[in-house]
Amino acid sequence: MNSSSTLGSIRTAHSTTDQGAGDSRVGIATNRSNLSRSFSIRYGIALLLVAVALFASLAMQHIFAFPYPFLFLFFGAVMVSAWFGGMGAGLFAVLLSTVVVDYFFVPPFYSWQISTTAETYFVAFVVCALVASWISSAKKKSEEALQEARSHLEIKVSERTAALMQTQAELTRLSRLLSMGELTASIAHEISQPLTAVVSNGDACLQWLSATPPNLEKARQSTEKIVQDGTRAGAVVSRIRALFKKEEPVKNWVEINEVIEELVEFLRHEAASRHISIGMQLCPSLPLLKADRVQLQQVLLNLVMNAMDAVTDAAAKRKEIVIRSGLQKESKLLIAIEDGGTGLNPQTVDRIFDPFFTTKPHGIGVGLSISRSIVESHEGRLWAMPNAGGGAIFQFTLPIARRDSNE
Amino acid sequence: MNEARPTIFVVDDDESVRRALGNLLESVGFEAQVFGSTEQFRRVMLPDVPSCLVLDVRFPGANGLDFQQTLEQAGIHIPIIFITAHGDVPMASRALRAGAVEFLMKPFQKNDLLTAIERALERDRVQRAQYEELSVLQSRFAELTSREREVLELVVTGLTNKEIGNRLGISEVTTKMHRGQVMRKMNASSLAELVRMSDKLQASPRR
Repeated sequence: MNSSSTLGSIRTAHSTTDQGAGDSRVGIATNRSNLSRSFSIRYGIALLLVAVALFASLAMQHIFAFPYPFLFLFFGAVMVSAWFGGMGAGLFAVLLSTVVVDYFFVPPFYSWQISTTAETYFVAFVVCALVASWISSAKKKSEEALQEARSHLEIKVSERTAALMQTQAELTRLSRLLSMGELTASIAHEISQPLTAVVSNGDACLQWLSATPPNLEKARQSTEKIVQDGTRAGAVVSRIRALFKKEEPVKNWVEINEVIEELVEFLRHEAASRHISIGMQLCPSLPLLKADRVQLQQVLLNLVMNAMDAVTDAAAKRKEIVIRSGLQKESKLLIAIEDGGTGLNPQTVDRIFDPFFTTKPHGIGVGLSISRSIVESHEGRLWAMPNAGGGAIFQFTLPIARRDSNE
Repeated sequence: MNEARPTIFVVDDDESVRRALGNLLESVGFEAQVFGSTEQFRRVMLPDVPSCLVLDVRFPGANGLDFQQTLEQAGIHIPIIFITAHGDVPMASRALRAGAVEFLMKPFQKNDLLTAIERALERDRVQRAQYEELSVLQSRFAELTSREREVLELVVTGLTNKEIGNRLGISEVTTKMHRGQVMRKMNASSLAELVRMSDKLQASPRR
């Protein structure tokens, strides 16, 4: 579960909570087995404490000569035993105390007999000892549970922090994609510079060669520069490629509704500031997909951003976007993004998925083409159609994987 | 071309670009000087030969268009050819309105650059000639006495000697004498020529 790298690790964290509770029960069980290993120590402590209580009580009996036997020290022994040794050791201490008290302190003294007058007193002692043992061990248990909960909480916090950090990294990448328009400017600049140098040095090289006599040294220097600048332009291109590509595509089990909900949450602020409402009509309990979650986010982000641009342009119409998910036959999921925006231009609709085709003043025309290639790499299909109430519908299908390959 | 070899100044923050342009300009026979920043360019003395400036629009920190304005305000009228890797129409029109010779998008063709440079140098030659003429006129004007300057101002407005005399409170004969001195000192062969000279002097920018 933790391996799904997503925007929605927050949600994942929720489910780890349940799992975590299970863990804590397992943890207590482990503790118990540990404690049973120190069985002799716990019961030894109980024995020792009762012995100490006995000698101290006998000593006090001798020194102060109370009218009633002084037995409170046994409660102390019971409570401490229960605290350190748990319920078992507590009961053991109670048993020992009962025997000892019966023998030493309940008339007739120094015998196992109990006089009828002392019976009530003795029973009261046993009951009190039992209660003390129970209270002490219960207190200890709750203390332990608290400790357990605290350490569990710490684990949860660190898990959550890791998840959030991952979320943040994903968001950074997504917002980079969002500002793709601004990127165009710097890309153009970055590539034009070395190209200018290549062309100028090339012209200069030709010029040096056609001089009489040809200036071969200058021509050689010019050519060296061309190689350098060409290499630099190549480096720029691979930097851009790295920017648009995720390092390694990872296909995992993905719940498409979850991806959609996360994206809507991610765009909530942007949509609100543009007075756009994004609705969701998600079919519950859809089967899982085997897909690259980040790439799916990218597709959805592209389509929803396009829809937002379309409804922003169509000033007077309803600024509403609806994202639907559902099943198409049994083997495919269908995801549709509907907007009430400017709609599709019949003259250009065939070209909207072409690379570098754009209808936006500052677009570079890669969003839909990247989206289509991602969907196709998942063996799905992405297409556009007019929305009956005005605007456009972009929808894509994704095949449902059979769960025999993994898990 | 029997004049001194024209100098082309190139200011671009990208080292490979300015070096390549330097190489290209040198290969076609220009004297090229390249700079990485406008500050470096401002530190050199401009030579007394036809010259022009090939200037990148975008600099980290400073802006080529602002630098164009700075030069203009400082009275340095070197013709400018802008080059840019990321230009737009407003940028280009602002540059051209402010007197730039050309606005080239990188990467540009050699011929476009060289044609622009030729036009820039031609403009600089004309400017230099005009400046030369103006400075001659200014030195002649400097030799006039204050009375002669007054007479000159009134003569070019088309007043007769008598009217000028009345205005300045001097006799017509004295006026005629001053007027002769003005014509001689300014080396003007006719009233029309004197008027033209006066116009040029008045239009001359403060240097």
